[in-house]
Amino acid sequence: MRHTTRLLDIIERSLSGPLMEEEDFNDQHVTQGLSRVVKKYDIQINQDQIINQDDALADRVWEAAVDFLAECGVYCQTTNRVIKFSVQEIKDILKYAPDRVRVGAGTDAVEEYARNVEDSRRPLLMGSSIGTPIEDEFFVPSMISYIQEPEVDVTMAPTLTNIYGYDIRTRSPLEILSSWREVELTLESMRRAGRPGMAFTGVGSSISDIGQLSADGPGGLRQTDLHTFGIISELKTNFEILNKLTHILMRDGVVDPYANPIYGGLGGGMDGQAVLITAAMIALNVFFMATCVGTSPTHPFNFNDTGKELLISSGLSFQALARNSHLMTNLTNTPVGGPGTKTLLYECVALTVMMTVSGGSRILGPRSATGSITGHFSGLEARFTGELLSAASKISRSQAEEIVQKAYKKYENDLTQKPYGKHFKDVYDLKTIQPTAEWQGMYDDVKNEVAKWGLSFD
Amino acid sequence: MSSPYESLEKSILSGDTEAGTAEAVRLITRGIDPLLLFSESIEPLLDDIGQKFSRLEIFLPEMVNASKVVKAIHKAIQPHLTADQTTKSKGKIIIATVSGDLHDIGKNIVKAMLEVNGFEVHDLGVDASTQTIVKQAKEFDADIIALSALMLPSLPFVQDVIEFMESSPSTKVIVGGGPVSNEWADEHGADGYGDNAIDAVALVKELLSN
Repeated sequence: MRHTTRLLDIIERSLSGPLMEEEDFNDQHVTQGLSRVVKKYDIQINQDQIINQDDALADRVWEAAVDFLAECGVYCQTTNRVIKFSVQEIKDILKYAPDRVRVGAGTDAVEEYARNVEDSRRPLLMGSSIGTPIEDEFFVPSMISYIQEPEVDVTMAPTLTNIYGYDIRTRSPLEILSSWREVELTLESMRRAGRPGMAFTGVGSSISDIGQLSADGPGGLRQTDLHTFGIISELKTNFEILNKLTHILMRDGVVDPYANPIYGGLGGGMDGQAVLITAAMIALNVFFMATCVGTSPTHPFNFNDTGKELLISSGLSFQALARNSHLMTNLTNTPVGGPGTKTLLYECVALTVMMTVSGGSRILGPRSATGSITGHFSGLEARFTGELLSAASKISRSQAEEIVQKAYKKYENDLTQKPYGKHFKDVYDLKTIQPTAEWQGMYDDVKNEVAKWGLSFD
Repeated sequence: MSSPYESLEKSILSGDTEAGTAEAVRLITRGIDPLLLFSESIEPLLDDIGQKFSRLEIFLPEMVNASKVVKAIHKAIQPHLTADQTTKSKGKIIIATVSGDLHDIGKNIVKAMLEVNGFEVHDLGVDASTQTIVKQAKEFDADIIALSALMLPSLPFVQDVIEFMESSPSTKVIVGGGPVSNEWADEHGADGYGDNAIDAVALVKELLSN
């Protein structure tokens, strides 16, 4: 693609940029840099309101993020150097960022596109547990529970808890085997669900470059799939990540990375966090030539992104990006609640509605029960998310604010209680791959309730 | 009447190392017992900072900066102490994210919380090999090794450290991170599990009080 011509430039800058200790980068570049731009651009957040209604504030967050990113750069841990691009270079590069991409093959192909704030076009849904661990025996049925849902556009695998009975170990042959097994089982799930050409993101089971690269090629991850990697929080990379990027570019794959700023960390509170999320998403395109740019900001104690602070800062950031660029942005829904709880469904309402009216292009998940409890996810919450995406595409930010406030009140006290719910096998009939009556009933109740709040599911 | 520690506490809260160390030395040279300086002012203040962070009323940078000032104060007052006035840390802790895992902010939050609670923490960073962790724990004479693993394929490296340390039962191994749990810690012989930074501090206090 025309925006993927900077590889040697990035490598060169990682080898010749200013040398720096990592701790100094954290303190002087990230923390002090954010503090500087928060003051300079007067980023003040109304904490009573979840969904930003102030376009001028969103635009100031954008300006602050570009200013901050140009001064801060991205730290390469391998070379201890800072990769930098000037404000003008960042703006020039963003002009050529892609605003649409076709993923998947044949009749299962879908198009992702940049959206605006209050855009009436529905965002895409990556229906998936987003790498949550699962036992081998439940891998295929749990994946089918997502892929069979017409609301799901693209998918991603869970992570195997072990490979052929062995614990998976990073940078070992077992990691390579698990990467291949993940792809093999994902392709089988898509064939069995009748959507063999659907795009999926991978390779989730692998952390290292060797694990990912091994299964990203003939017989493995396809050119029409989404090729992911995460950068290191905050705004850091290394040669392992650049190895993955180089391989994806050489394969002409869709580059689909993510950055997950930690709330309360180097970015501080909501103001700094909004700027940091925005800057990290810009960096994914400028420094890593991403086709689509993703995030799943994380709460430091609850490990979700459905708390009020993160709903506010993520929404503001997505609005800043949607109003000032044509980047295709995506957000992973990481609720605390798990299957078999209404908490999960209310969290889906709040985050999905927020992202839809704030201009996101794709939602990922839900990564139920914070993605950390083996098998605690199911396709039903993805169906609900897809329906919410369509419904929320028809409403304004002010209507969304009322709905999100109602949903948030329903679960705010549950967040610290961590109602992780049940395993997939306990909320789905494994033969029919349909939700149990109890889980279906909770979904029906919440959907009916939310419809009364003003979301139309027709 | 204002507290004699007002200026010192202000410097710690604002992360001003120069002013903090100067004020601590001034107070000691004016006759304040260094042990009282810590027990009456610095320790309660750090405890309060930790509490505020656990409620997210302040954030990691403020906590780290406060901790840096206190470390500098420790160093600055050493020449002014008599043999029976040495301030002791509450315990020595090695902290690391294990091999293959590059997540560091969660670990850094735990580190900062431990430091503001008076523990001496030696940070081995991310992607730390089993060999490095074990060797450093022995050299540092650590009371506790705190290991972070956010990715499932990193867990075998946590298990390796636990096995290595079986021959050194006086050093406890505690674990945290997404794929671990109380059950995992029990099954694999860890001495404890912390769900988050607040839990980790409580766990360390409990282990070191036994």
